[in-house]
Amino acid sequence: MFDFRFFEIYRSSEYMNLIFDGILISSSLTVISGGLGFIIAFLLAASIYWRVKLLNYFSICWIDFVRNTPLIVQLFFVTFGLPLIFQYVWPFWAHALLALTINFTGYFGEILRSGFNSTPNSQLEAAYSLNLNKMTIFRKIVLPHTLIKMFPSLSSQFIFIFLTTGIISEIGVNDLTHAGLYIDSRTFRTFEIFIILSILYVALSLLFKTSLEVIYNKTLKKRM
Amino acid sequence: MQDLLINIFDKPLGIILAQLISATRFTIYLSLIAFFGGGLLALLITFLRIYPSKVLNYISFSYIWFFQSLPLLMLLFIIGLGIPRFLGQDFDPWYAASISLIVFTSAYLAEVWRGAILAIPKGQWEGAHALNLNYIQTLRLIIIPQVYKYSIAPTVSFLIQIIKGTSLAYIIGFQDLMLLGKRWANSPVIGSEPFIIFPIMAVLYFCLCYPLAIYAKQLEKKYSIEN
Repeated sequence: MFDFRFFEIYRSSEYMNLIFDGILISSSLTVISGGLGFIIAFLLAASIYWRVKLLNYFSICWIDFVRNTPLIVQLFFVTFGLPLIFQYVWPFWAHALLALTINFTGYFGEILRSGFNSTPNSQLEAAYSLNLNKMTIFRKIVLPHTLIKMFPSLSSQFIFIFLTTGIISEIGVNDLTHAGLYIDSRTFRTFEIFIILSILYVALSLLFKTSLEVIYNKTLKKRM
Repeated sequence: MQDLLINIFDKPLGIILAQLISATRFTIYLSLIAFFGGGLLALLITFLRIYPSKVLNYISFSYIWFFQSLPLLMLLFIIGLGIPRFLGQDFDPWYAASISLIVFTSAYLAEVWRGAILAIPKGQWEGAHALNLNYIQTLRLIIIPQVYKYSIAPTVSFLIQIIKGTSLAYIIGFQDLMLLGKRWANSPVIGSEPFIIFPIMAVLYFCLCYPLAIYAKQLEKKYSIEN
């Protein structure tokens, strides 16, 4: 009963390869969908800031809807619902990428939107008195201010979503959690494999956190 | 209620709706358990975090750090699948789901509350010390009434995270909205295709979360004007 058998996992090269591939797939999917999500979220938040007709209402509804529904429901809808409606066949990872991107757009959109709104009035007034046009104000004042001020929330949200990506294993993507479930079903060493996985997830999130901090220090901190 | 829904939406959809709505209460129960249990644990951890003792600070710091970087999914797997197999004993999904969500909640809430306590100016502590209040009295009379203002809005918005987090508990066999909806979506009944079921579930979760989101926003506005 009370015996740990970690060696069953680390002695097998097949399992180690699975775990390694899982790490690569989990982190690359998160990074790619985070990047795409950031771009789309930026467009959504900008459309709210600029009050683009109709598009801003769509953006507000989109952000609120995505933020108030669980990722797993979005994932299942994207994977099992959308292909039935529009009659297409995609590999699993593409569905996962789409669902994660949707999730990222919601959270990043909300953060960017509140960042755009939180620009100090005094700075805007100073910019108006210098007769800068709206585009220049957005580019030179609102945007840098938002990025610098909101970077910590963006990065912690990124980590938070990375930690929930484990559920993409539910639709058959070979990510880290999927590797764990596979090894569990082969060896019945449930406790050990999930402890290993937990340590890996903690290490990966630490890695993401430090690399985001390095990016922040290298690019944005200088401009404060 | 089922009859009414069948009258409005016809046979398969009315039954599905009635079942999904009645399964939502388990999602609500689990969220409440996680919120209150996690809140109590978080109180303890916050207290340890700010208590003037290096060792206790370090313990609670590592607790918060570890469980914030650990996916909820892994907690569910370890507590719901790993420990039962390790002990060779069955474990009710209710306990497993509650324990994992309580641990998950406590780490995040403790961090939120600690941030709120840190936001209070140091002068308040010094003033309390000058009035010869002891540590507990300072917390009770000076700090907590002020912390309330800073922390209520993020706490309410974290409740949304908890509700969304409960949707993961279906993985260990917890019978809630998610599990039932997934079963219906997999069933061959015509009228229960995935593209009908999952939007319904999304709307149900939305109805649970959105009022809280609005409430959190209102609280944020209210207390930011006061300060």
